[in-house]
Amino acid sequence: MRTSVRFPARTSLEQILDGLTRDASFQEMVTRWERIPAKPARYAPFPEWLDGRIAAALRRRGINELYSHQVAALESTRAGRHTVIVTPTASGKTLCYNLPVLDAIAKEQTARALYIFPTKALSQDQLAELERESTDMDIELKTYTYDGDTPPAVRAAIRSAGHVVITNPDMLHTGILPHHTKWVKLFENLRYVVLDELHTYRGVFGSHVANVLRRLRRICEFYGSHPVFICTSATIANPDELAREHIEDDVVVIDESGAPRGEKVLVFVNPPVVNRGLGVRQSALLTGRDIAATLLASGVQTISFARSRVETELLLTYLRARFPQPQWPHDLIRGYRGGYLPSERRAIERGLRDGTVRGVVSTNALELGIDIGALQAAVLLGYPGTVASTWQQMGRAGRREELSAAFLVASSSPTDQYVVQHPEYVLDRSPEAGLVNPDNLHVLVHHLKCAAFEIPFETRERFGTEDTPGVLAYLDEQGVLHESGGKYHWSDQSFPAEVTSLRTATNDNVVIVDTTGPAPRTVGSEYHDGKVKIIGEIDRFAAQVMLHEQAIYLHEGKQLQVERLDWDNAKAYVREVKVDYYTQAELAVRIRVIDEFERHSSQKGFDLAHGEVLVSTLTTIYKKLTMYTHENVGWGKIHLPEQELQTTSFWTSLPERAIAGWPRERVEVALAGLGNLLHGLAPLFLMCDPHDLGLAVEVRSPHTERPTIYLFDMTPGGIGFAERLFKSAQPLFARAREHLAACGCQTGCPSCVGPAYALGTDVRDAVAHLLSLA
Amino acid sequence: MNDLRARVAEIIAADRARRGARSGDESAAPASGWRAAADSSRSPLRHAGAGDAPLPYEVREQRLDVDGLGLEIVGRGAVDPLLVAHLGLKGEPPRRWEDILFLDTETTGLSGGTGTYVFLLGIAYLADGQLILQQHMLRDLSAESAFVEHLKGVLEPFRACASYNGKTFDLPLLRTRFVMAIRSDLTVDESHLDLLHPARRLWKDRFGSTTLRQLEESVLDDGRVTDIPGSLIPDAYFHYLRRGDESIIAPVLLHNARDVVSLVRIADRVARAVLAARSGRAPDHAPAAFALARVFERTGELDAAHACYESAYFDGDNELRVKVALPYARHLERRGDAARVVQMLETLLALGLGSERWREQAEARTRRLTRKCQRQLATAS
Repeated sequence: MRTSVRFPARTSLEQILDGLTRDASFQEMVTRWERIPAKPARYAPFPEWLDGRIAAALRRRGINELYSHQVAALESTRAGRHTVIVTPTASGKTLCYNLPVLDAIAKEQTARALYIFPTKALSQDQLAELERESTDMDIELKTYTYDGDTPPAVRAAIRSAGHVVITNPDMLHTGILPHHTKWVKLFENLRYVVLDELHTYRGVFGSHVANVLRRLRRICEFYGSHPVFICTSATIANPDELAREHIEDDVVVIDESGAPRGEKVLVFVNPPVVNRGLGVRQSALLTGRDIAATLLASGVQTISFARSRVETELLLTYLRARFPQPQWPHDLIRGYRGGYLPSERRAIERGLRDGTVRGVVSTNALELGIDIGALQAAVLLGYPGTVASTWQQMGRAGRREELSAAFLVASSSPTDQYVVQHPEYVLDRSPEAGLVNPDNLHVLVHHLKCAAFEIPFETRERFGTEDTPGVLAYLDEQGVLHESGGKYHWSDQSFPAEVTSLRTATNDNVVIVDTTGPAPRTVGSEYHDGKVKIIGEIDRFAAQVMLHEQAIYLHEGKQLQVERLDWDNAKAYVREVKVDYYTQAELAVRIRVIDEFERHSSQKGFDLAHGEVLVSTLTTIYKKLTMYTHENVGWGKIHLPEQELQTTSFWTSLPERAIAGWPRERVEVALAGLGNLLHGLAPLFLMCDPHDLGLAVEVRSPHTERPTIYLFDMTPGGIGFAERLFKSAQPLFARAREHLAACGCQTGCPSCVGPAYALGTDVRDAVAHLLSLA
Repeated sequence: MNDLRARVAEIIAADRARRGARSGDESAAPASGWRAAADSSRSPLRHAGAGDAPLPYEVREQRLDVDGLGLEIVGRGAVDPLLVAHLGLKGEPPRRWEDILFLDTETTGLSGGTGTYVFLLGIAYLADGQLILQQHMLRDLSAESAFVEHLKGVLEPFRACASYNGKTFDLPLLRTRFVMAIRSDLTVDESHLDLLHPARRLWKDRFGSTTLRQLEESVLDDGRVTDIPGSLIPDAYFHYLRRGDESIIAPVLLHNARDVVSLVRIADRVARAVLAARSGRAPDHAPAAFALARVFERTGELDAAHACYESAYFDGDNELRVKVALPYARHLERRGDAARVVQMLETLLALGLGSERWREQAEARTRRLTRKCQRQLATAS
């Protein structure tokens, strides 16, 4: 890298930050410049009972003491208690579970441990680490990863000889649990189960994982073992609650980190308002691009996080335009997101570690503990949706004990504006919680079937829900199970684990096929299959918005136009094009209440309720928007079947007197505005992505017979957002009032109730009036 | 409760639809198929062993005359260890035909895993010049432990078995049941003759498929007129569990009995083909001769290998000749017949046959051997 050779990076970053503090126009955008001082380490001596070889090996590596939290974890797991370690990135979390496991195996060769990582990539990193440690310590320990990539030839050896088996929830679900008789040694001697990145096991995925763990414990019971669970998690409000949902037992939480931390600068950036009347701000994308470009030009290795796949690709395009070839190496900046092939991603991770890749633009895919070495700076385009994610993403910069910087650039969404104007929301301890709903009936029934396949159910056995006997009896009637001798036996030809995927509730993805031609275009490996190749896949819900015919799909900075979408066979055929616009589809939403679970009618305020609903979505038209200026330059129709979603929803309806005498238009405007505002702020309460929550408004709902706003769970069956919102509606209204009052716009802007120019000039007043009654 | 049922029903219906869309969904096929098969067949098996006490499992036995089965090799004389190497052997060769347990299972699914039950084990072994055929069937899933304990007793005397695709299917499933039901292991497959592999070598190219059904028709000339298709067997069994109606399961028992007997007869045919090749009569189907040649090389029976190579090369078409040529050349060279090799390869090269890579290898070998021949000539003169 020609730019980084002359100056050591530290000076360079220090100088850039110094330059930015003197730059008046930049300082105008800054709402907070937080310097977090370096923090010294807190140590504790090795416990006396720790195997001598382990202590000796650590001393040889210059480690004479452990961090305080590592010792706490050792003591707690030794006492046989399930333990959750909640400390920041790079605080030596790995040792918190590796040491107990190494010690157990050092003392007893038959002991076994199971490591569960959310992704395959993380497993690979851990494997190398554990092998190095056990070799150092001269402890005989065989470690293997067991996942979809494991060659069949070595699988048998892993099953019987592996002391530590590293896998992911998906493989545990389809590859290990339904074949538990091949893993007798593991299950009979299982001492520890390590659940890394526990906070990722929330939402639907988490609800699935919680059920997979129920099945795991059921099998351990069958073989007579009682493993201790060791979990690690990013900072969330309820690590104990989340862990208890997964383990269904008491846990010990260790959240005082003893690790040192390098000095860190956190900058909250709010792009300037370019049109005060309309409340339109300069885009976060362009502001973020400028910051990232400044850092990259000085050779500071930088990671940029975008909120969506589209933004990732746009930012990549913009940045590459700033660093043209041949003056700059072509892989200076790479994109990284779901939808890229694994081999492509591995190559990028390697490039980041060895320094050939200087910049990466990523979705939250790189937020997890994938080893990409120590980056110096992070630029976050928009608030990542949760405080936990924000810290994870900011933590990607500065894993070493040296100066690092992270910039959060706010978009005009209400959430972003709230956060950038209240940086303490991020900087102080988070109020967010990781939610799972393991008893979601959709999820539970799938896993109950898998569990019955694994071991017959006793008639009185309980699997999560209290109504297990009812579900079992029903499945028996259906012929899926067969009751005999007080047990329910699996009586179906199918292999139930294969029917259920843990990652999405809908289970099928649309494959993207590039038909451009055989010429090799990008670095990295792809599947060449004659003339066409598969470049990625996307779930069906996203596909109706991103892969409709004529859509411009962006991949690795290339523009691809969708020529044909074969919806029935889930294939989208794309071809490379060069155009100066991108596309954005509009989604029409209809909602019907099926069942009301709970209602709270208030004398003076709004009525609140939650229950089950049926949501129909239909993409009807798409717009063509110019790159950079985002002007609307055309549109087209989309012909796709309506999608139906049965889920749970929270809704609130307005009292008649709130809108007494209002013309219908004003009611419409006020509802839309209030809906936008609540939808924008609700994710702050739920620790969810705004995309996980849907919004619909009805001027006169057939169910409530009043103007009604629905906030619904985007996951089939729901994962508990609706009930949570129902219970915290008053704080939500309070925060909405506060946010609206603080918003700098005059008549309504995208940061609060939505743009007045699109909704109506009195939108802000109308919403304020409604909120005063809520 | 009704609400719950409705919702569970929807979830299950969605699952079924998904599965149906993925594969041809055989499970949705009407049940009338196997019922028809049941009506038009009569079980030839006599009921034995179970007595009057209602056991949760059932044992049927019949004795068949070896001559009546047309066996020429299997069950006659001692076992030739080189011969059984041709029968897909893994492990030590058994010493007597009587030591081998022929077996075939019927299961509640093809997917494997702990939720697939083995409900019927058909076995056959030779004793006193007869073939003893036994069928052991589980009649109640809740009695699986007792059933497996019983199977353990049945299997324990044997240390060698023969099967059709048992290495990947029947034995792993049985092993799973042994662990699930009684936490025990199996020893019956310490030596294992899996006839699928030799059957493929001999007949795959010729008949396209090598299912037992196909081989009965093409090799034994004794096809099945009425037979329950394998894909309907799990549902037939589930039906039987609920109804207890023997007529539902009769066709399955018949199917299994035929499978086991065919297994023995096919083993005999494979053995015959091997012995014929040894005495110079290689299979008249060239690809089979080629496949046999390679096995003979492995077992070190070079004369038999030679006969098979010879036959494969002369009866084969050019495509096969190219395939045969290089291994055959190595074989000939080992026998010291370099001149033949040069002549053969030069002919094929002159005809312009083979891929580029193949031609390079053939040319290299020809050059090397030509030089060698010249050197030999030089020293001789």
